[in-house]
Amino acid sequence: MIGFLIDMLLRANDLALLAVGLSLVYSLVSFPNVAHVQYAASGAFAAWAIADRGVPLWLAIVLSMALTSIAAVVLHRAIFDRLIRSGPPVAMIGSLAVAMIAVSGFLAIFGSRPRRLPLAMEAPTMVAGAPVTPLALWTLSGTALLLAGLTMLLYFTPFGRALRALAANRTLTAACGIDPKRLADAVCALSGAFAALGGIIIAASKQTYVLLGSDLLLPVFAAAIVGGLRNPLGAFGGALIIAFGETLMTNLDVGAALGRQSWFLPLGYLPAASFSLIAIILLWRPEGLFTRKTRSV
Amino acid sequence: MRWQLDRMTWAGAVVGLTMAASLAAPARAADQVILGAVLPLTGSSATVGEDQRRGIELAVEYINSRGGVLGKSLKVIIEDSGGRAASAIDAATKLASVDKVPVIIGEYSSGITIPMGQYLVRQGVVHINPGSSSPKVRDIGEYSFSVMGLDDLAGRFTADKIFKQGFRKAVFLAPNNAYGEGVTTQVAKAFTALGGTVVGTVLYTEGQSTYRRELEQLAKAAPDVYVYTAYGQESAVINREAFELGLNKTPWFGIYLTMCTSDSAPETVRGQTGIEVNYIGPDGGWYKKLYEDKYHQPFTTTFSGYTFDAVNIAVAAIKKANSTDPAAIRDALKQVAASYVGVTGPLAMDGQRQRAHQPFLSVKYVDKAVETIN
Repeated sequence: MIGFLIDMLLRANDLALLAVGLSLVYSLVSFPNVAHVQYAASGAFAAWAIADRGVPLWLAIVLSMALTSIAAVVLHRAIFDRLIRSGPPVAMIGSLAVAMIAVSGFLAIFGSRPRRLPLAMEAPTMVAGAPVTPLALWTLSGTALLLAGLTMLLYFTPFGRALRALAANRTLTAACGIDPKRLADAVCALSGAFAALGGIIIAASKQTYVLLGSDLLLPVFAAAIVGGLRNPLGAFGGALIIAFGETLMTNLDVGAALGRQSWFLPLGYLPAASFSLIAIILLWRPEGLFTRKTRSV
Repeated sequence: MRWQLDRMTWAGAVVGLTMAASLAAPARAADQVILGAVLPLTGSSATVGEDQRRGIELAVEYINSRGGVLGKSLKVIIEDSGGRAASAIDAATKLASVDKVPVIIGEYSSGITIPMGQYLVRQGVVHINPGSSSPKVRDIGEYSFSVMGLDDLAGRFTADKIFKQGFRKAVFLAPNNAYGEGVTTQVAKAFTALGGTVVGTVLYTEGQSTYRRELEQLAKAAPDVYVYTAYGQESAVINREAFELGLNKTPWFGIYLTMCTSDSAPETVRGQTGIEVNYIGPDGGWYKKLYEDKYHQPFTTTFSGYTFDAVNIAVAAIKKANSTDPAAIRDALKQVAASYVGVTGPLAMDGQRQRAHQPFLSVKYVDKAVETIN
């Protein structure tokens, strides 16, 4: 049971920062930014490349997050902000193009060899019979802290109030003297940094590779949509649900039902199984689990 | 008028370039015999691919220092497969249609070798498999030859070694492709026949960033040995995650152990036992020295001798056929292969153009290298 919970949290940890960032941006610009997951790959590669030049790892991580933030703002201003005027579908296709160019760029610069951040190998400690590495605990608590920080920012600061107001009613908020453009820059930077850190967590515990971002696309979007787009903390709930679904399908031993000793679902079918779960949730609540139809600020 | 002139200029340039290209090609071919190779120089098997490339490099130097072939010097054009079947076929297409090579050596993974070989057979180009062992390689076709024994030969040897170490409850982990499917089936059959039990099998999807779930499913069966086989960098992830899950407290047995350990962190694979193809035949000691003199290190994997033999047997066939026509080489290769002794031992191919006898070794990973054990 504890083992199940830990697996679920670790998987949710892979998705949470990205899904939250995606939802945050969506609440402001109202188009699904497909390139968002590529910020995870660029963040992971940048951190690896900087650390590989002898820079201390923590500094490499901070620098990578900063660089990815800047890239997110620049891309938003130069491309997405212009395309969104032609409508969300156009902006989405534009972001798909950016994502494809990014993948080719990673392949050209870093090659197809996977990379892992320079961290020592650690033997696990047993927590209630489940193996956990110190690194996993670090990354889990890091994500928890960041999400707590984001909650504070959204609900207890003027910035957060402005943000939520803008997401709820753009025209009215602009009329109140809040500059949507500056707010959009801040949100892009924030979500870029979150995505970079999400990628770095994967590069630290697993590895980074050219298709890191592309492989995250479906689960991250699913988490954000199930949680209810426009609600960043709902996206975290969505990540937990996706992780729950995937972990459940992995661990479900249906051997007894089949009259065998043990039989698990072959992992190749995992996406299909967890996406069936999502389809059911969305049929039940099309607006997502954590979105209220009316909102107040 | 101006438009027409422009068109004329363009047409002239195109014709000129085409002529230049067609003139350049025969000039190059006149004093060289050119063969092709498609190897995983990048991707998860890159370490093995580099070793395969070294075997070819050594073979070309060896042959050219002894007068070349048919009075010309030998050249092997090596293309990267990236570890992907589609790229391998693209590379083979380029070698066959642009470079017009009569023989192509490659690849490594059975899942890539088989479609590439089938393509080459359709094109009438001779294919030599230097490293794939799926029993399905046997069915590629008339132009396809193997210098490495297939897994129907490895299965019994492997099962025997696992059983002799005292293991009775095994789980299998292998890539979900022609190789993984073939090898797990063969070993499981032989292991069960000996009296062992296979309590779980997981065929993993290649190229993932984590195999934690696969490992957890296998761990649930509480085996007394993990029998696995995985491509270099995928194996590195599997070994690290097994270490992080504490699964390395149970013994691990690697099929083609150097492939499994080549990219793994030493502390994650220390003490693993396994099997390997015998990479040095009874008369192959000089090749080991040749390799070590050139690269200043011991063999990184066991696969370089096989590409060395592949180039040499192709050249022997070209000499015998006294031609670089693919059909003539194929017929000569069938005759040469029956009695050819390479650095990996006698190649002795059977009627289906596959190596009939493949000696194997029982090996153990000790301190950053694989050693032979009994």
